[in-house]
Amino acid sequence: MVNADVAAATRALSHLEDTGLVWHSLGGLRAVTGVAALLRGSPGTSGLQPFAADQEEAVRRLAAVSAEARAMLEAVDAGGGQASSSRARTRVTVDEAAGPAEELIAHGLLVSSEDGMLILPGEVGLALRGGRTTPAPVDVPPPLPTSSRASSLVDRAAAGAAFELVRNLELLLDAWSATPPRSLRGGTGLTVRDLKATAERLHVAEPTAALLIEVAWTSGLLALGTDEEGDPSWMPTELFDQWLQQPLAARWSHVAGAWLASPRLPGLVGQRDPAGKTWNALAPDLAGASAVETRRLTLGLLAEMPDGEVLAAGTGPAAVVARLAWERPRRPRTRTESRESLVAWTLTEAETLGLTAFGGLAAYGRALVAGEDPVPVLAGLLPEPVDHVLLQGDLTAVAPGPLEPALARTLAVVATVESHGGATVYRFTKESVRRAMDRGWTATEIHTFLAAASRTPVPQALTYLVDDTARTFGTIRVGFAAAYLRSDDEAALAELLAHPAAESLGLRRLAPTVVVSTVALDSLLPRLRELGLAPVVEAPDGSVHVARPDAKRAKARNAQRPAGAQEAHLTVRATAVAARIKAGDETAASRPSPPEPASTMAILHEAIDAGEQVVLSYVDGRGVAGEARVEPVGIDGGSLAARVEDDVRSFALSRIRSVRPGS
Amino acid sequence: MNDGPLIVQSDKTLLLEVDHARAGECRKAIAPFAELERSPEHIHTYRLTPLGLWNARAAGHDAEQVVDTLLEYSRYPVPHSLLVDVAETMARYGRLRLEKNPVNGLVLASSDRAVLEEVIRAKKVAGMLGERVDEDTVVVHPSERGNLKQALLKLGWPAEDYAGYVDGEAHPIALDTADWSLRPYQSEAAESFWHGGSGVVVLPCGAGKTLVGAAAMAHAQATTLILVTNTVSARQWKDELVRRTSLTPDEIGEYSGSVKEIRPVTIATYQVLTTRRKGAYPHLELLDARDWGLVVYDEVHLLPAPIFRMTADLQARRRLGLTATLVREDGREGDVFSLIGPKRYDAPWKDIEAQGWIAPADCVEVRVTLPADERLVYATAEPDERYRIASCTHHKIDVVKEIVASHAGKPTLVIGQYLEQLDEIAASLDAPVIEGKTSVKERQRLFDAFRSGEIDLLVVSKVANFSIDLPSAEVAIQVSGAYGSRQEEAQRLGRLLRPGDGHKTAHFYTIVSRDTIDADFAQNRQRFLAEQGYAYRIVDADSLGDLTP
Repeated sequence: MVNADVAAATRALSHLEDTGLVWHSLGGLRAVTGVAALLRGSPGTSGLQPFAADQEEAVRRLAAVSAEARAMLEAVDAGGGQASSSRARTRVTVDEAAGPAEELIAHGLLVSSEDGMLILPGEVGLALRGGRTTPAPVDVPPPLPTSSRASSLVDRAAAGAAFELVRNLELLLDAWSATPPRSLRGGTGLTVRDLKATAERLHVAEPTAALLIEVAWTSGLLALGTDEEGDPSWMPTELFDQWLQQPLAARWSHVAGAWLASPRLPGLVGQRDPAGKTWNALAPDLAGASAVETRRLTLGLLAEMPDGEVLAAGTGPAAVVARLAWERPRRPRTRTESRESLVAWTLTEAETLGLTAFGGLAAYGRALVAGEDPVPVLAGLLPEPVDHVLLQGDLTAVAPGPLEPALARTLAVVATVESHGGATVYRFTKESVRRAMDRGWTATEIHTFLAAASRTPVPQALTYLVDDTARTFGTIRVGFAAAYLRSDDEAALAELLAHPAAESLGLRRLAPTVVVSTVALDSLLPRLRELGLAPVVEAPDGSVHVARPDAKRAKARNAQRPAGAQEAHLTVRATAVAARIKAGDETAASRPSPPEPASTMAILHEAIDAGEQVVLSYVDGRGVAGEARVEPVGIDGGSLAARVEDDVRSFALSRIRSVRPGS
Repeated sequence: MNDGPLIVQSDKTLLLEVDHARAGECRKAIAPFAELERSPEHIHTYRLTPLGLWNARAAGHDAEQVVDTLLEYSRYPVPHSLLVDVAETMARYGRLRLEKNPVNGLVLASSDRAVLEEVIRAKKVAGMLGERVDEDTVVVHPSERGNLKQALLKLGWPAEDYAGYVDGEAHPIALDTADWSLRPYQSEAAESFWHGGSGVVVLPCGAGKTLVGAAAMAHAQATTLILVTNTVSARQWKDELVRRTSLTPDEIGEYSGSVKEIRPVTIATYQVLTTRRKGAYPHLELLDARDWGLVVYDEVHLLPAPIFRMTADLQARRRLGLTATLVREDGREGDVFSLIGPKRYDAPWKDIEAQGWIAPADCVEVRVTLPADERLVYATAEPDERYRIASCTHHKIDVVKEIVASHAGKPTLVIGQYLEQLDEIAASLDAPVIEGKTSVKERQRLFDAFRSGEIDLLVVSKVANFSIDLPSAEVAIQVSGAYGSRQEEAQRLGRLLRPGDGHKTAHFYTIVSRDTIDADFAQNRQRFLAEQGYAYRIVDADSLGDLTP
């Protein structure tokens, strides 16, 4: 009865018997109690349950109905043997029947149930399928169409994507370590704006950007931390720094392996969930139970293909879906992740990540899927790191391959990156050279570095640029002073500087006739008088300003300031603000990563074991941050149960920002 | 990993390692579809652009060839997305075709209905189309042939023009090759233009573009309209055509500010065509004065906007664009592509130089320090005055003298922007000066004298930038320029690169004032030179004596 080869059916049955799922009863083979109940969850193949003896009657009735009615019946069967009765009357005679649904009901080919559904009785289903449980054979897996493509080409193209992936992740995380994007309020997702900005920065499409961000997180290179204002933000982890030290192939293997084992569904980003809300990247529930399995099965199918054959471009993905439906008929169970989209995501993601290309699994991808080490194979395909650049007369330096990380970072100080890829193009400009000098490099150091890093002679124009920049570097020196003293009498100034009591005035001689002080005018003036000097105050325009020492004066409002001074004042302020911002950035860059979630968990577990109190800092459902002294009771399914006073409350772990021992 | 000479970057630049054993073949293979962006000494940069890829399509290359070439020569794996992008971009060219339909006249036809639907619905195109003939064809108003092509290019669906050309009024023209012959690349250029129908030939200055024009005319055998940048250049075209072809002086007319002759071959200046009187172009009728079989645009990268509009109406005539560079400072490369035609021939400077057709150049930048008093004037000057003050420092005159003396006896040009400065230099060097106000007759006389070796020092303003052959110039000294324009640099260098007798080396000096805006602009120009592969040196004016010319 099963639409399969007899031998295959027998084999399957004896396997079921061996595993003890089926046994011989007096009435024939029976499934073990429970199996049927387990299978009943979703509409399966009908025809096994109420088994009517009168098979011929069903066949006869089936022959009597119209073509439309038969087509409808076939549709109901394909849909699992159930359909909604909608407006069809459930008690009609053959003569009264209007439309195919009523016709089928009248003939008793569809039976209405209490909950308004129409059910295809088992014997009718069997008759419909020509006495079989399924219309198509079930013992032959659906075939996969292939086309031929040299495996070396697949490897090369995939390795290109693999290289891109590693480079893009590096760019992404470097950018985020400078300016970490805030996480969504109350949750942990990434805003749509940040996603767009990332896509733009990396010159990739948004879905690709979402994938990159997700794999960065999955592979532990990215985590939620706290920025300098205490807001939760996404930033690279310490693991990222270690990762950077590894060779390219190992970096790729780390990331690709994490993706393979991750339940996350980056493909959903940008789509709407059943409630109509748009999925954000890094959102906590952006995951699916079937993701890992579908990925493994799909890539497994690709791995089975013979060498030189790849999945056909047009019909391939659909065939993979059919094949998975045959292999795992009862999965997935949710609607957001249909089998079609899971397979489609797997295929595109695998291609973006560099496991596959042209629909074929690369050799190292095969190794990864098989649980072997892909690194040796991949390393042979990826560009070797180079330790030199080529300097050119147009003031560019070309690294003809990925640079060794240390060299790359040094070079990035002296020159500006112009083009990324297999090679990197750097450009030297006055600004970039000055930037290096700002960081304390001398012209000689730059010359030495360039000569050492370059395989070609350093062009005269570049040498000239460095020297020329060095010539003007520091021509104007800037320093801090609160007041100045000037006198045409050089000896008077010398005397003052030599005076032992002048030490606390912070005096420094800039020129024979000029001394600056770090002490502000209001305090400086009386101190100078104490020392027996007779200073007068100069107005901004150089005229002498005489003030009676006992009369209080407020400083004039800046309305009277000359335009130039006003401008200079603004510039100074802008510079000061910029400096503060920069200082902030630097602090942020050097700030250690926030404590790992793991340590939070450790503290909580310890507290549970010891029955001690802890202080939780958390964000509640409305996004309001709070703190509570609690006694943790247990952790279960992503939430913490804890005793607060006499109550036991539950806190979502994702909302807990930090934990510290309460005692 | 294969050991190719090419590195394909994900930003669509291609880096070619020049010293690689396979660099030569790789260059040939990628030249049809990638634009050479810069060619300094070790690594040349090419760029994949939609226009470049469409140029390749127009020349009969397909995406598969491009992808294969990239994969074959690339040292590292090629980003898959880039390959996909190349294929998609190339597939966009030729989905739409402009055709002559025996019944409906000019039509836009497509093999891809969706694309046709998309462009028909585009607002920009709406007014240019007529009735729908069938599902795949729509009538085009004949007068909109050019505008439609422009609009379609902007939509990203460039149309292939199969509508053909009118033959024009026949006129016998032959090359008179008794005592000379076309160089191989010149005849190749003319051939590829002719087979392509219309389009642009890119050759460096001094590579003999006029002769490519003459060869194209000999192919066309029809009346020809030649558009050039100025009168002097018009005269030179005429002289060259009389000397190199069977045309007699009577058959060639000049249509300029001073003379208005219309002959079987007419040479007109852009200026006269774009002269406006009372909002109208009175000389526009020249375009219809005869049944031209060929229109030649000299220096197509300088084509002024009104000429583009006029060209849109000339789509039924064969059009040949000649230029040293497709780069336009105004970014209207797309208009050149859609209105004149795709690039039909291209040869990088260095290649032609290597073949010995143009002279190699030695570029030196001399930096002078402003004297303290001038520095103060500069520092306090209004921003729009600064450039003039910086570039006209008197110090430069001494440096010019020094350089001229070191090259004594060699034909030398001093080129500048500011007349005052030029006059002063001319006076102190006792050399004749050519500037805008110099009469055409006087210019001709001086240029002739310079060419014949009668005088060996000439001070010229920017009138000398374009299309004036001074084949004997060996030294050029640039004292001021037009705000660092790449184009100007190309033209000025071009002055020197004309083939001379034997193996001469051209010397190109630029004198700039240190620490001023002059030096900043100079940097742009140098970058262009270095990108063109001319290594330059920078010396201080004080150590000029150490320089061995």
